[in-house]
Amino acid sequence: MNNTVEAFDYNSLRAREARLGKKLNNKVLQTVILTLILISIIVGVFLTLIHSFWCWLCFSLAIFLGMLIFWIKCELVSVPVGRTERLNDVLSNDVLANLPRNPKTKDLASLVKHTSSGKFLNVRYGISSNMLENIAASLPENPAPIFATALKIKQGTDSEEIHGAIIAVSIIANLEGSDYLLHQMKLEMVDLLDGIVWFNYLNGLVKSIGKKRHSGGIARDLSFGYIPTLQRFSINISKVREGSMKTQIHLPTHKEILSKMFQVFTSGGRQNVALIGPEGSGRSTIVNALAEELLDADSKLPNSLKFRQVFKLDAAALISAAPERGELEGLVMHILGEAYAAKNIIIWLENAELFFEDGVGSVDLSNVLLPIIEAGKLRIIMTMDRQKFLEISAKKATLTNSLNKIMVPPANEQETMKVMQDQVPFLEYQHKVSYTIWALKEAYRLSERYVHDLEMPGRAVALLDAAGNYAENMLVTATSVRQAIEKTEGVKVSLAENDHDKSKLLNLETLIHERMIDQEDAVKTISDALRRAAAGVRNERRPIGTFLFLGPTGVGKTELAKALSEVYFSGENHIIRLDLNEFVEASDVSRLIADPTEDEFSLTAQVMKQPFSVVLLDEIEKAHPKVLTTLLQMLDEGILRDARNKEVSFRDTIIIATSNAGANRIREYVKSGTNLTSAKEDFLNWLMSTNEFKPEFLNRFDEICLFKPLSPADCLKIIDLIIEGVNKTLAPQKISVALDEGAKQLLVERGYDPELGARPMKRIVQKSVENIVAKSVLSNETSSGAEILINRSMIENELT
Amino acid sequence: MFVVDLIQWWYFRGWGVYLASLKTKLGDTLDFFSIGQLFRTLFMPYRQISAGSTELGGPSAFFDRLISRLVGTFTRLFIIIFGGFLIILEAILGVCLAIIWPLIPLLPILGIALTVMGIRL
Repeated sequence: MNNTVEAFDYNSLRAREARLGKKLNNKVLQTVILTLILISIIVGVFLTLIHSFWCWLCFSLAIFLGMLIFWIKCELVSVPVGRTERLNDVLSNDVLANLPRNPKTKDLASLVKHTSSGKFLNVRYGISSNMLENIAASLPENPAPIFATALKIKQGTDSEEIHGAIIAVSIIANLEGSDYLLHQMKLEMVDLLDGIVWFNYLNGLVKSIGKKRHSGGIARDLSFGYIPTLQRFSINISKVREGSMKTQIHLPTHKEILSKMFQVFTSGGRQNVALIGPEGSGRSTIVNALAEELLDADSKLPNSLKFRQVFKLDAAALISAAPERGELEGLVMHILGEAYAAKNIIIWLENAELFFEDGVGSVDLSNVLLPIIEAGKLRIIMTMDRQKFLEISAKKATLTNSLNKIMVPPANEQETMKVMQDQVPFLEYQHKVSYTIWALKEAYRLSERYVHDLEMPGRAVALLDAAGNYAENMLVTATSVRQAIEKTEGVKVSLAENDHDKSKLLNLETLIHERMIDQEDAVKTISDALRRAAAGVRNERRPIGTFLFLGPTGVGKTELAKALSEVYFSGENHIIRLDLNEFVEASDVSRLIADPTEDEFSLTAQVMKQPFSVVLLDEIEKAHPKVLTTLLQMLDEGILRDARNKEVSFRDTIIIATSNAGANRIREYVKSGTNLTSAKEDFLNWLMSTNEFKPEFLNRFDEICLFKPLSPADCLKIIDLIIEGVNKTLAPQKISVALDEGAKQLLVERGYDPELGARPMKRIVQKSVENIVAKSVLSNETSSGAEILINRSMIENELT
Repeated sequence: MFVVDLIQWWYFRGWGVYLASLKTKLGDTLDFFSIGQLFRTLFMPYRQISAGSTELGGPSAFFDRLISRLVGTFTRLFIIIFGGFLIILEAILGVCLAIIWPLIPLLPILGIALTVMGIRL
């Protein structure tokens, strides 16, 4: 394209009209003009009656003012774009009205805030007037490059005119290093261009509000029958949609489905369509769009389909009106007979499974419906969940074979964003708020991960709707969306990002060692991995970290998992623990992925409820190979499909598997003085050669940590930690316990077991120290605020 | 300048805008009375009131159908005539205004001239 752009002509007709329109587009002024017209006519008539020649002047004034008001309403309120692509012909009304005689770049930046599209960009994308003015200050004064870029943007976004938002984006695009600036705002140039398209779309919707839709008029229903019973037990979707804004179909797959539905209903075959897809995938939107299209008098549909109306049958109303089976079947037959006789009805069975199986709120009407569906005369639409459809297919093959099935797939990210942009005006009207682009992006991201009962685009829109209740200063931001999902789904999604948490991560080793002894290498490996994850140096499509802890029992593997949960997720309760020695049969896979309604303690159910957790898989070597294979996808992609085939995200979990496999070999390494870090490779090769773990399984972990057996010196430190725990328990009674060195030594001598690690230590402390404290308290030897000093002989007495 | 702009618009775009709005209004009225649809369904039974009895067959069903069709035809003919009259009236008035459109800006000048000349009605 030629870069030289014609200069702005301040005196062109459009520019003059736009400036005049700005002054005259004033409700008070227009009311004054209309009142003057009325007064002129009344006075004129009066003067005519009294034969005064001044009546001509009154009528002249009325006609002139009439012409003026017509001009204001039809032209000046919004000066239409010109016919050419010249700058003066394509600048929008509000831009033209605010441009000075010789505009400079800074004037363009300043006028953006006076335009509706500029305000749109400010609220939704944070492109403020100040920001634009600052950018303009660093650009050349001559606005020609801005206009040239604006023309390119107009063509690229298929815009009708150059409005304020295009000018704003053009100013940003002309700034050197604009990408850096936008990245600071978590935006890209493509987001802003998308914002222009979004504004154009909304602007088009606003303009279409005043336009009347042709829907057949008074003769439309004259040749169709009465349907009193059907009206009682159904909702007329066509009537509902007739008074609403037109449903927009953005998804190419949905357009294709709609055209397939028209094909089925105009063909001579069975007049039914079964829309099969997950809830939230847009099945109802398609039916609504179909209902609107049928009532559109200007559409090119054949007469056999035009003006047909869609009635949604209300299963609950039917069941409550006719609780007895025979009664209900009779009622349904009567309704369907009425619909057939009326000749303009399309019956819609939403959640059609309710009509084909007995249950709470549902009833099996196959005997009534099957002959009607098979006959194919009455037009019927069914919408159904895929899973339910498969279940019904298994039981009633004849029924499902009689249906014209159309699959409704879930939307992708781009399509979902479009649908959300389409829904935003309705949500804004409902909640009296404004949505930012970050809210939309966050709604997609979070709903994809944490909303499991709906599919895209429905789940993103549902979350966006919920976020409307968490607006701050009437603005729905990414934070509002996070709050909404935390409150509605009960999942904590806001990973703390403040300085306190950063320092936590930097001092992870110290914090972990506050509650566990030794295992420096393992702790450092884990800490490094988690710091990398927190800094964003990780694959977002995998869990935060996947670790395999190998080592003898009682050396701190589980304790490290608990410490991680407390430090990383701020609470020891953020741990989901599974003993895999309970999953030794192939059939146990079903327990692992059971639906939350059947088993709320299955792995998938627990992660759904608490996605920010440490998942601890104890004794993994004992699990059945099929269980391990099931877990592979979780380790690899951070996804596990549950029994209902729904994806459950493990991408915010730290997965830790523990195993005692090779414990003796680790002990041998330690005994021979071999460094475990250097012997790790040799150990893993040995482990694979024993067939304990398959190489593909071991390779799935980010890190494999070897835990060394504890020494007596380590046990001395562990006693300190155990006593610290005892003191915490006694704190409410204001009593504390202290052990002298001799007592500690004795406890280590009696409690240390190289085979069982620190575990016996706990038991021995319980048996000795806690017993001493209990006796002392009960015998009133110890009062509140006292410290019980325990020496070696006291322990000896207690243990003998 | 402002009056010149108004006159310029009146004789060029304004006229077109008026004709377009007349077309839209006539379209809306046509849709309201749906004359085409009425002609297409002129002899169809009124609200399908005979549909239930057609299954029985016989002379009773035949007469039911016949009466229903007569009622339907009469109702539709009435709407066609009434609607047609209104549409024609609206079109004639609209076209008349479109014809005198260029003369409207002259009327205030004429009025001022008549006032100056002191002509009474």
